Amino acid sequence: MNTPAIISVSDYLGLVNHALRTIPHEGMVIEGEVVEFKVSQGKWVNFDLKDERAEAKISCFMTVFALNVPVQSGMRVQVTGTSKVFERFGKFTLNVTAITLVGEGALQKAYLALKEQLRSEGMFESSRKRNIPRFPERIGLITSSEAAAYGDFLRILQNRWGGVRVIHAPVTVQGKDAVQEILGAFTQLNALPLENRPEVIVLTRGGGSLEDLHAFNSEAVVRAVFQSAIPVVVGVGHERDESLCDFVADVRASTPSNAAERVVPDRREIDVHLAVSVDRLADRIDDEIQEKSRAIDRAIRAVDAFLERCSRMVSECERVLKSVDPREVLKRGYALVRSRGKILHSSRAVAPGDHVQIQLGDGTLNAQVAFNAVQEALL
Amino acid sequence: MPKKQSFAEAFEELETITEWFETQNVDLDEGVKKFERGLELAKFLKEKLADVENTVMTLKKKFTEI
Repeated sequence: MNTPAIISVSDYLGLVNHALRTIPHEGMVIEGEVVEFKVSQGKWVNFDLKDERAEAKISCFMTVFALNVPVQSGMRVQVTGTSKVFERFGKFTLNVTAITLVGEGALQKAYLALKEQLRSEGMFESSRKRNIPRFPERIGLITSSEAAAYGDFLRILQNRWGGVRVIHAPVTVQGKDAVQEILGAFTQLNALPLENRPEVIVLTRGGGSLEDLHAFNSEAVVRAVFQSAIPVVVGVGHERDESLCDFVADVRASTPSNAAERVVPDRREIDVHLAVSVDRLADRIDDEIQEKSRAIDRAIRAVDAFLERCSRMVSECERVLKSVDPREVLKRGYALVRSRGKILHSSRAVAPGDHVQIQLGDGTLNAQVAFNAVQEALL
Repeated sequence: MPKKQSFAEAFEELETITEWFETQNVDLDEGVKKFERGLELAKFLKEKLADVENTVMTLKKKFTEI
């Protein structure tokens, strides 16, 4: 009888783990229900993956970092990973590298959970929503070139407004690469040099099922919309569709066409607005000219009235002056006698032989005083 | 008119002029100057409106590294 080989516990576990490594993990996913979902220290995730039919379960371990969907106990998931018996605990564990949700129910539950979480973080607050420029010159467009959304957006944009530069970041909007491509597009557009950087970003796609809209409900994309330095318009699907990106967007559009309507004005409306503005300016100037010319008329009338008044006053003065004009008196036979240029008021002011000027109504006499006599009766 | 003025800037200037006319006691000299400027802006904006073509520049796809 051969002597059995004696090996240590850890050596034996080494053998077991070696054997476990031979189980292929590529091309195989394990589907089951999540139970006992726990996150510790904000880093480590533990849960059990339970089989529906038998009371079988696998302890699963993963990092929060690898957890890219909100998982809760009770959800059906598919996981990939490698299994191992941890020497220290002697416990068989599946080290999960990827996890996806299965079925509309699980997706819906995850969607609502994430929506609630993001809401509680204040990411949907209307107070943080930014205005988009009224007349953008550069618009970033994140969508698939093949999608109807792309054509719809550009067509409506063209109908409404011109001279815009659309910077298109082509992405796939569903499938496994969608999230990474959309994140890349946000980074790319935000990193463009200022003169090329769009003033607004439009993230858009047509409608679809919850699974189709996966990328627009992914936490990473929602956070990218939130963090974009450039304001974002999100237009997903048809009127009835909603995505988490809608709630975080600065402007929510209902469809790709509506996104174009929200992002540029209609040139016809602006045309009318311009015509009305010019008319209003012309009216105001016209009013002003009318008012000023009325003021000028008033002033002219006031000046006329003043002149009229003055002229009346002058005539009156003239009449008064005429009535006291000494020449009129002289014409009646009176005389003014001047000696040395001054009017004589007294006969005694001159002596015989003095020269005097006698002014009569029609002329002046130069005379010499013959004698003085005290005035008797004049007439 | 400065060449570099964008549609948005010109539009804003026109709005400011319109507002000025509506809130101020218009001084005729200044009013006429502003009116002429307003007409000039409106003409420029109308020309811009006729600028019908949008252009599309497509970026190369780039993945972000995690």
